[in-house]
Amino acid sequence: MTTRPPSGRAQSRGLIGLLLVAVPVGLFAWMTVWPIISGLVQAFTPTQPNGTRPFSPANFVEFFSDPYSLSNLGVTLWTCLVTLGLLLVICIPLALYLRFAQGRLAAYVQTMAMFPMFVPSIILAFAFIRVLGPNGTVDLLLNAVGLPKIRSPYLTPWGPVIGLVWDNIPLTVLILVSGLGAVSNQAVEAARDVGARPLTLFWYIVLPRIWTSVAVVISFTMLGLFSAFTLPYVLGPASPEMMGPFMQRTFGDLRDPEMALTQATVTMLFCIAFGIFYVRAVARNRGK
Amino acid sequence: MSKLTIADVSKIFSTTVAVDTFSLDVADGELVCLLGPSGSGKSTLLRMIGGFETPSSGSIRIDDEEVIHLPPEKRPTGMVFQSHALWTHMNVFQNLAFGLKLRRRPKAEIKERVEAVLDLVGLKGYGSRMTTQLSGGQQQRVALARSLVLEPKILLLDEPFASLDQHLRERLREEVRDIQQRLKITTLFVTHGQDEALALADRIVVMRDGRVEQVARPDMVYREPATPFVAGFIGTMNLIDGTVANGTFSRASFSVPLPVADGPATLAIRPEALSLTAGGQGIIHRVTDYGTHGLVDIDLPDGTRIKSMISDAKAFAAGQSVDLKPTAISAYRDNAVIYRTR
Ligand SMILES: Nc1ncnc2c1ncn2[C@@H]1O[C@H](COP(=O)(O)OP(=O)(O)OP(=O)(O)O)[C@@H](O)[C@H]1O
Ligand SMILES: [Mg+2]
Repeated sequence: MTTRPPSGRAQSRGLIGLLLVAVPVGLFAWMTVWPIISGLVQAFTPTQPNGTRPFSPANFVEFFSDPYSLSNLGVTLWTCLVTLGLLLVICIPLALYLRFAQGRLAAYVQTMAMFPMFVPSIILAFAFIRVLGPNGTVDLLLNAVGLPKIRSPYLTPWGPVIGLVWDNIPLTVLILVSGLGAVSNQAVEAARDVGARPLTLFWYIVLPRIWTSVAVVISFTMLGLFSAFTLPYVLGPASPEMMGPFMQRTFGDLRDPEMALTQATVTMLFCIAFGIFYVRAVARNRGK
Repeated sequence: MSKLTIADVSKIFSTTVAVDTFSLDVADGELVCLLGPSGSGKSTLLRMIGGFETPSSGSIRIDDEEVIHLPPEKRPTGMVFQSHALWTHMNVFQNLAFGLKLRRRPKAEIKERVEAVLDLVGLKGYGSRMTTQLSGGQQQRVALARSLVLEPKILLLDEPFASLDQHLRERLREEVRDIQQRLKITTLFVTHGQDEALALADRIVVMRDGRVEQVARPDMVYREPATPFVAGFIGTMNLIDGTVANGTFSRASFSVPLPVADGPATLAIRPEALSLTAGGQGIIHRVTDYGTHGLVDIDLPDGTRIKSMISDAKAFAAGQSVDLKPTAISAYRDNAVIYRTR
């Protein structure tokens, strides 16, 4: 065995590799890491009346002692959980159907399930208003057959929930279907062969194989929902409001960037928690 | 204990007729091999017995009880798939125990039965292994054990060893035979390997395009194939199309006495039933020496190639002209036997 010193060619190739990596890493540092640090620093160093900025958790004390902020955080969490629950309840059967059904109907359902992906949120929001809003299509139809109007979910916390569920169906279904790809037909048939009925089959054979996908769905949708803006802004109530519109209003209308940063930091902490959940789920899957 | 009756079963997938009015009786404790080329409907038939496909028509009875309307989970059948059928998130013990747990057997009984069957398939002590840590052969043993532990009335195996290498396949099929004989379990075994069928089966069902071509004991399928298709499918066979006139079959310069009515015929001669003598119309194309015997390819003047098995490969050489003397022949016309030497 002989070891050769690295040639000049290899060295320059290493340099090019380093440069190629440096660009995205630099961008990441500049566009993501730096704003986070700067935001954290500002949130933790509130400006005093005399202009100094000593370290103090005062902003966070203010956030967590303000009933309005807390109810906004509460409604955000509520929206996230309800949306997530509905998403799983709707998308798991849909994904199971798409994975195991054959034929033309399944192809149609697949297209339908992917459709929301191509509709911008703002158009979705206005479609929602026209259909489910006051005197919308549903009301008109009910009226035509002499029934009372619905209590419109528009401008209630259910408005964003319905919009967000619709908006998130494609991604959720895609993730779940790809996860279900890991379940072989033979494994399913073998389970039926030894006596598993559909529910048992789902619980003991299918679900354990798609846990990772479910975890990915949970973290992805939670991350997406926490930072959702358009749908809560257009469809949701003015008060309490979700963190997205709340931050925007605090920053833009109230001109209080420090408080907006504090809200952003709190939001980020929740997102980090789900981020960690995601990383762990993926890592656990890799470990298998 | 259990017999299987399949009567006039057909399965039509939109345009393909996968199984065509198939009938078969399998006696208690019998091992029947379904043999046929790819696409002949073997898997489809097995899946209909297991409940994974619904027949388009016909009836399937187990111990005289109609099972056609039962879903797989309610049928007294156990199926072993070709591959990828183990539950990879469970260990070996859990894979075997799952069916028993669904039947709410007591813990002690589950443990006892799982261990007994692990012992039976030669995997004693493998209970805590994850299935992904097993070799291909071990995985198929687990799949077999998983079906056996539930003591099914009918065991169905769909090319269970097709993904394994030749050597392992031979060993496992012998084990399956031993286990089957010990448990006296009625078994249907799908394969497209004729040697597997010949080695395993009490009876062989040769299938072609979804229909039964012949049902017979292995030696009968080999010695007295009912149709030219079976003759050509099992073992090596020379099939020569020609015409019969005045009690003589002829094809090009090759002729054999054949006491049947005049008309077209297909002659079937095993290589081992065709002896060679020097000088004649056939030209030797190649001689392959297998040590124990030799295989000679002979070209007739019209280009027909014929195989002959000889005991001494050194006796003939390529380019030599030879005469062909069949010692045993069968002849077919309209897909049926018209003559067979005793
Ligand atoms: N789900 C299905 N949909 C449509 N056609 C099918 C389906 N399953 C099987 N077939 C067709 O039915 C015929 C028989 O298939 P089958 O799988 O039973 O053959 P096989 O004898 O098991 O072949 P192999 O030896 O390759 O496994 C084939 O022509 C196949 O294309
Ligand atoms: Mg098959």
